[in-house]
Amino acid sequence: MRLRSLRKWLPSRPELRVFVGYCLAAAIYIAIGVTVTDFLYSFWVGVAYVVVAAWAVPMLVRRLE
Amino acid sequence: MSWAAHDLEPYAFQKHLNLKVAFVPLLIGSYAPDMMTKWFVYGIHIGPWDLRATDPAQFHRGWPGFGFTHSFIYGTAIGLIIWKVFDSKLWGVSFIIGQFAHAITDTGDTVGTMLLFPWTYHFHIGAWAYAGQTGRTTDAAAYFSGLGCMWDLVWIVYGFYAWRVVTGAYFDGVIYRADAFWPWLNRWVPRGALLALYRAAFFYGTSRWIAWTVWAHVIHHYPYDLSWGGPHWVHAAHP
Repeated sequence: MRLRSLRKWLPSRPELRVFVGYCLAAAIYIAIGVTVTDFLYSFWVGVAYVVVAAWAVPMLVRRLE
Repeated sequence: MSWAAHDLEPYAFQKHLNLKVAFVPLLIGSYAPDMMTKWFVYGIHIGPWDLRATDPAQFHRGWPGFGFTHSFIYGTAIGLIIWKVFDSKLWGVSFIIGQFAHAITDTGDTVGTMLLFPWTYHFHIGAWAYAGQTGRTTDAAAYFSGLGCMWDLVWIVYGFYAWRVVTGAYFDGVIYRADAFWPWLNRWVPRGALLALYRAAFFYGTSRWIAWTVWAHVIHHYPYDLSWGGPHWVHAAHP
């Protein structure tokens, strides 16, 4: 019973793929931010970054394939 | 002040409140108290001029000052204006919830907030040091060395536990349907970009928390001090 509810809670393979993509984007964001802390202060920089990294770049890659 | 809680709280409130709430005004409300003031607390340079409050804590949280932005009356007033101007009770109420969450969260530091302004008493738990007056770099180091960053971590852990709130299915089924703003924006912006926008505050709050923690403790070795009111190596402001 518990195992079934745990399975329901765990993400599916496509959901995991999305999560890994965001983790990669986050790793780059963190690396830039630790090097240049000004990068971390602006919410709008964060929004622009995530839209580019999590939507625009994957979309371009898919189109080029 | 909090650095990531204001980014992450709206996801939890949206999920758990038994009221119909809209995510965008909830998030705007969560940022609203600091929108006008934070830049002047830390100061900015414009050409030869340095613009900065002479008493940042007083300016940010006090009266005279802009401390009223962290009060219930301010959130209610702006919420009612939003309700009237946009003819949307949903947006007005959602803004109020977000603003109240911010004002209550900031009672956690040593300065606290004037929740019941015009009564100028500062409600404060004093769990972590308010160090905005030391400048943004020292403030970041202090915040990410005390209990404030642990409070942020609670929201991050909760966010990962309730990870379905950031899935595409949740966005389509709950967030998009609850607020006409998303279909309106969808006329020009594709669904994939909307989903990234919805996830942006979660991404920003979590990534920034990790980055500042690495910066403070791996690059610079500021000491952790998780005692009440800490870190005590920084001068904490009080009301």
